Amino acid sequence: MNAFCDGVDRRGFLRLGSVGGLALGQMLQLQSANASSTVKKKDVNCIFIFILGGMPHHDMWDYKADAPAEIRGDFKPIKTAVPGIGLTDLLPHTAKVTDQLAIMRSLTHGDSDHGRGYHIMMTGNTPGPGDFNSTKNNNVHPSIGSMVARMTDSSKSLPPYLSVPCFLRSGGPAFLGPSCSPFVIESDPASPDFNVRDVVLPEGIGSDRAIRRQDALREINRLERGLEAGRDVRALDTFYDKAFRLMTSPAAKEAFDLRREKSTLREGYGMTSIGQCCLLSRRLVEAGSRFVSVENGHWDTHRENTKSLRDLLVPGLDRALSALIGDLKDRGLLDSTLVVVTSEFGRTPRINTMAGRDHWPQAFSIVMAGGGIKGGTVVGATDKIGASVTDRPITPPDMTATILHALGIDPTTTVHTATGRPVELAMGGKPVLELFA
Amino acid sequence: MRFFSQSRVEHRPPVAYVFLAIVFYSSILSANENPATLHPSVDVLIVEPASVVLHGSNRQQQLLVTGTTHSGQSVDVTRFCKFESSDAKIVETSESVVRGVKDGKTTVRVSYGILTADVPVQVQGFATYPPVHFANDVVPLFSKHGCNSGGCHGKASGQNGFKLSVFGFDPVADYDALVREARGRRIFAASPENSLLILKATGRIAHGGGRRIAVDSLDAEVVRQWLLQGTPVGMPGTATLTSIRVSPSERVLGLKSEQQILTTAVYSDGSLRDVTAAAGYSSNASQVAEADARGRVRTGATPGEAAITVHYMGQVAAVRLQVPRPDSPSPYPSLPTNNKIDELVWSKLRTMGILPSDLADDATFLRRVYLNAIGTLPKPDEVRAFLADREPDKRKKAIDKILDRPEHATFWAMKWADILLVNRDKLGDRGAFEMHRWLVEQMSRNRPYDEWVRELISSSGSSHKIGPVNFYRASATTEEVTRAVSQAFLGVRLECAQCHHHPFEKWGQDDFYGLAGFFGGLQRKKLSGDEELVHQVGNSLTIKVSGTERVVSTRPPGGSNLAADASGDPRPTLAAWITKHDNPWFARLAVNRLWKHYLGRGLVEPEDDLRSTNPATNEPLLKFLTRTLVENHFDLKAISRLILNSRTYQLSSVPNATNKDDEQYGSHYRVRRLPAEVLLDAICTVTDVPESFPGRPRGTRAIDLWDNRAPSYFLDIFGRSERLSPCECGRTSEPTMAQCLHLLNAPEIEAKLASKSGRVESLIAAGKKPDDIVDEVCLAALGRLPGDKEKAIARKLFATTSQREAAQDFLWTLLNSHDFLFSR
Repeated sequence: MNAFCDGVDRRGFLRLGSVGGLALGQMLQLQSANASSTVKKKDVNCIFIFILGGMPHHDMWDYKADAPAEIRGDFKPIKTAVPGIGLTDLLPHTAKVTDQLAIMRSLTHGDSDHGRGYHIMMTGNTPGPGDFNSTKNNNVHPSIGSMVARMTDSSKSLPPYLSVPCFLRSGGPAFLGPSCSPFVIESDPASPDFNVRDVVLPEGIGSDRAIRRQDALREINRLERGLEAGRDVRALDTFYDKAFRLMTSPAAKEAFDLRREKSTLREGYGMTSIGQCCLLSRRLVEAGSRFVSVENGHWDTHRENTKSLRDLLVPGLDRALSALIGDLKDRGLLDSTLVVVTSEFGRTPRINTMAGRDHWPQAFSIVMAGGGIKGGTVVGATDKIGASVTDRPITPPDMTATILHALGIDPTTTVHTATGRPVELAMGGKPVLELFA
Repeated sequence: MRFFSQSRVEHRPPVAYVFLAIVFYSSILSANENPATLHPSVDVLIVEPASVVLHGSNRQQQLLVTGTTHSGQSVDVTRFCKFESSDAKIVETSESVVRGVKDGKTTVRVSYGILTADVPVQVQGFATYPPVHFANDVVPLFSKHGCNSGGCHGKASGQNGFKLSVFGFDPVADYDALVREARGRRIFAASPENSLLILKATGRIAHGGGRRIAVDSLDAEVVRQWLLQGTPVGMPGTATLTSIRVSPSERVLGLKSEQQILTTAVYSDGSLRDVTAAAGYSSNASQVAEADARGRVRTGATPGEAAITVHYMGQVAAVRLQVPRPDSPSPYPSLPTNNKIDELVWSKLRTMGILPSDLADDATFLRRVYLNAIGTLPKPDEVRAFLADREPDKRKKAIDKILDRPEHATFWAMKWADILLVNRDKLGDRGAFEMHRWLVEQMSRNRPYDEWVRELISSSGSSHKIGPVNFYRASATTEEVTRAVSQAFLGVRLECAQCHHHPFEKWGQDDFYGLAGFFGGLQRKKLSGDEELVHQVGNSLTIKVSGTERVVSTRPPGGSNLAADASGDPRPTLAAWITKHDNPWFARLAVNRLWKHYLGRGLVEPEDDLRSTNPATNEPLLKFLTRTLVENHFDLKAISRLILNSRTYQLSSVPNATNKDDEQYGSHYRVRRLPAEVLLDAICTVTDVPESFPGRPRGTRAIDLWDNRAPSYFLDIFGRSERLSPCECGRTSEPTMAQCLHLLNAPEIEAKLASKSGRVESLIAAGKKPDDIVDEVCLAALGRLPGDKEKAIARKLFATTSQREAAQDFLWTLLNSHDFLFSR
């Protein structure tokens, strides 16, 4: 086993080890000062934000100014950077970047169950009957992130597909197998004790000791007779190599470390879970990941819709999304980064007796930005109460195809299920081509 | 001259072609400029078919030329032969394919070096094109050219509004799609050339699938004639396809060699048609041999066995290929055997030119049996006692003792719980608990397999009281229950046949829904909370095929209709049919599962995909095990005992020069990573710090868990089963980066290494010296005393740092070592 395939050899460890008192990660950050990263970015990557619970299209992206109050809701229209594209006053920051934004107002699928809706919007495919509310891997069809992982040559030090701050429901690989699973960061980057599990040495293990252990490990797993090892052993060894690469790659290490960002920028994203997840996603994509999925929960506003949205939910997303788009643009990364904000469905046109809105999968909105998407675009439309699609219906498979297309992956790529049945990644969906410049 | 007599070919199907041709004898070496490396030296040429009749839509014929070498071996020489028509106005040749041009008789001369054979060819009815039959003539073209494949018009949603039945299983629907749908715009009988069907298929107007058929090809001609004739469905009474026949059906091939397959369709009137180029081919072992779309097989650099499945219009056949190692040990030594298994394995190995590895040493053997049979590591004392034992039958005794341990029941209950979908998400806490408890009970009593399966299939009652009814709650629909039953207990993957004819088997929708009929009356009634009553309402002799108006009779696959006078619950009838001793799948699947469990690969692979086109790598062995299970009244433990006692199971994992590439025949033990639960338990045992699962008593082992969703990052990343499919395929040992990072850095594992009550601390507290500590942790983790390598590593660690740190670091190293993570 070559434990140090990044060229950081044992001596490198010793030299760095002499710094003393630093964690392995920090040691390697020091080393990064000398490392040059001149890799040119070409791949389009994706930051996939999932609004868990059902994102109310009326109150955000598809405002119905002329509808009666019980449909229109309590929010006021607001002018945005693009004349003619209206948002509600819940989104003052996002309103300033509508010139970068594509709003798709005609998503439709028809399944009002959270679990199945989640599966549908994470994969583009309906999972069939049954309960899909588990927070564990329950995929019938691979998640879009897993598709991207499958289609990515994973020679980079960072995993191609990550998920933060938890495993996203239906974010699993299904029949594509564990190598297409997300690498889950089960920690909230907004929390002061944020850390990425297992990437750094356990507490109390200093660098000298780590080096001794690695040496011993390399020695004990040295293949003497080569062939004796068997295929499964060799396969595990390649992943040990990858693990070491992640542990020892300065770029990878830095990517997880949000403290390296200026505090003004961190605050610009908002010191919220969604804000810091978005910032972390940008860092991960910058460092070589291809697909980062982010979950933001508690949007199931069956009661007190207005209050929840105004006081708890939308401001965080508004700041995070606008800051992310602005930051990506400033760094010249917007063209190579597709940002998607999606949800399992929209919410009912009519406000219910508990001042809430219920589930509405017949018509709802999602938004995209970057990754070659034409900003200032609205695609599709709903009727005057936002209940049904009147123009250009977009199905979940179309959404999948659009994302894959933006990432340079052919949505008709055929993969095989466990029983050998050929299926297309996007299940026949067609990319919404009018979104692309 | 040597005359080739009819008797040589008696094993051929009698109706088929009377073949043969004219044969000359010679030394090919002198006849051929090219040396024998490429062109094998043969004495006799056999051409199939021996004579050709081209008639109607049957307008071409693939020829297959087989030579017989001096030693009597058959070898395909088709690709080296020259084919010449004596009269190009009647027939023409294109490589080894003969095509009719106009009516008449002539011969095609086949030459190979100086050997030649003349094949008489008769062309009939070419002047007026005979009536085209849609199902026989047109639909196969959609399969041949991929139009109706699952990736194109065959998928459930069709392609761009045009949908064909996948693999052409429903010609009636295909006819409607072409002729009636889209206001008939796809065909234009008055001007066939301007029909969308032809324009698109030949790529003359934009077609997402590109050009599929050449304008001037025979296939285009069939379509054109069909259109010209006014798109007939076909003459009533036209012969229908009854089977396909492949030649050769078995062949021994060399490495990196080729073999042409000849595929012939047989119709109800006895007529034959060459469908070599229209049939589909797929290999079950692509590293050994692969076939292209024209039926040409190429073997690779790996010796072994492959089956090529040939499918054409719902009919299937298999070509079995054996590729032995080129230089087999000669003379083949006489090998010791422990039981009948070894005789059958050695016999196969001898054919393949492979020698088995040596016997594994005692320590390796003991750790292996513990892990494979009870999912548990042997304790240091158990290892010591076994190594010290000098009795010649100590392995046999150890096996008996291990199989009687209580962990055997929980470990195998876990395995069956994977297959039988004991998923808390679907069953709720109590349902999953009761089902698991029931399985543990069956295993502890070692109840005969057929008995408990009958009880499970026939079960009714409350999900909180009757464990096995939860099997029915795991599936949301009748269709899902049907799939689960046929895959879990028969190894018949009927699910393909739910929507379309199984591509590699004889099963169709009638078979799927026939079986589904037994569960048509199954109902679940909510009692309270997540308690449900599972019961059968009445007896359904028929069932409607979902999405159609068609009704089929309730019957097991390949069995007879449910008796009309049957009353009440039909499931016991089905259970009796499934578990009958002569059921072709039930016992076979069970022993194949066991073989895979212990040896790492099924005799049939995947282990639960039993079909005629997926032959076993050692059929006599699989037959023997099946028979033995039946003779032992379905005592699974008896089969485990038989396998564990075989020398084959006890072979070393270290390969020799002859068997290093073998993955099919059990010539050496296959090294495998420990399953998630077993690995977690092993880490706990070795560190002597149990895992605590929320809501479970401390000390609960992972293999004892009834709850497959019990929160555990470790079990999640190491691939415990999601229990979403009725197979063992939900469990995975595929490595990931997260696993490696966890083993290297997880604070949880670090805490176990450093725990005050852990193994390292107690060894230090007992005042053990470094050498003793190293012995003890090696025995615990690896089931053996340290070797030179471990000793050297330990020496270095103990020389550098404190005894405590060194001991922890040494154990950390072991937990990340191959010898710990794998059973070998």
